[in-house]
Amino acid sequence: MVNDRDSQKIVDYMKNFARKHSLFVMAYGTGCGAIEIPPTMTSRYDAERFGIRGAATPRQADVLLITGYLATKTLKRVIRVYEQMQGPKYVIGFGSCTINGGMYWDSYNTINLLDKYIPVDVYINGCMPRPEAVISGFIKLQQLIQDGKADGWKHYQDNLDDYRENQKKVIKNWNMPDFSW
Amino acid sequence: MSNEKTQNEQIILDKLFESFSNIEGSVRRERRIELKVSKDHVLSVLLYAKEQLSFFHLSHISCVDWLEDNQFELIYILWSHETQMQLFVKILIDREKPVAPNIDYIWRHANTYEREIREMYGIEFKGLVGEQEFILEDWEGMPPMRRDFDTKEYAEETFFDRPGREDAKDVREEIIERSREELPDFAKKYSRD
Repeated sequence: MVNDRDSQKIVDYMKNFARKHSLFVMAYGTGCGAIEIPPTMTSRYDAERFGIRGAATPRQADVLLITGYLATKTLKRVIRVYEQMQGPKYVIGFGSCTINGGMYWDSYNTINLLDKYIPVDVYINGCMPRPEAVISGFIKLQQLIQDGKADGWKHYQDNLDDYRENQKKVIKNWNMPDFSW
Repeated sequence: MSNEKTQNEQIILDKLFESFSNIEGSVRRERRIELKVSKDHVLSVLLYAKEQLSFFHLSHISCVDWLEDNQFELIYILWSHETQMQLFVKILIDREKPVAPNIDYIWRHANTYEREIREMYGIEFKGLVGEQEFILEDWEGMPPMRRDFDTKEYAEETFFDRPGREDAKDVREEIIERSREELPDFAKKYSRD
């Protein structure tokens, strides 16, 4: 008789190993940080050696990068994109604007705390983070995936009402479906 | 005092003074002329500048909020390719009932600038056609670029603060004491308390 708990451990290990080495990044730049993505992906820093590469649509992507400031108008689209992504899915907050508002902390149209609206697994600080910092953030995410700790998407599904409340505080005209996955 | 460098500018300014009696103007510097026009005459001045003085190109329409004088100032920035000169046409409008003439039949792209100013400052342009919403989405309340709109207060109400950052304080007083300088007057009104 096979020990179920241990065999599940082996399956989880294999699953996480496969997941962490093929991170498809949603090609969606929200702020000025998107300019750091081309050097990260191209030959000098070559993020593809870690299995990081671009994906064209949300359905094919694993990772959503929030690159820099997030306007309230963009937040609506980001939520739509995030919910269309298939689990397991991960979010990386990019730059100080996503952490505490950054230099737009008192602006009327950019949000200050990203993790009040969508769950964030890894934050990369800096304004802007250089490609080395981006890659180090991705490696941190890979470690979290291997340990099974990158479960923000589960947290989002469990606490959807709390997130919705925060989201609807900013997005006044909510003309989207309540569930889009 | 006519400077030799600004001779051509002076000629154009004199032409404008000949055609319109109720305008003020000056040559600000080389290749820059400023005009102050009343709201009712701005259309004819702009048309005259375009058709007769070769200011074909409208670079921008800018808006200034003079909160203390209870006025808005609209600045039409024109450019002449022939004479390589800039013409600033300024009008003042009342802040309580801000209505300005629409000029998008003179320059079609003025429509974009006017829609932006309508959204950001709440100035109505007579007969302006176009969607009410331009850059902002679902905006309620005061237009955000007005000076009496408090962005910090709005951001504190609407968005969240990262816990643990409550001790962030205004350190300018300490810096002034340390370097024995005085806080300039214009900076005092931005003080946090």
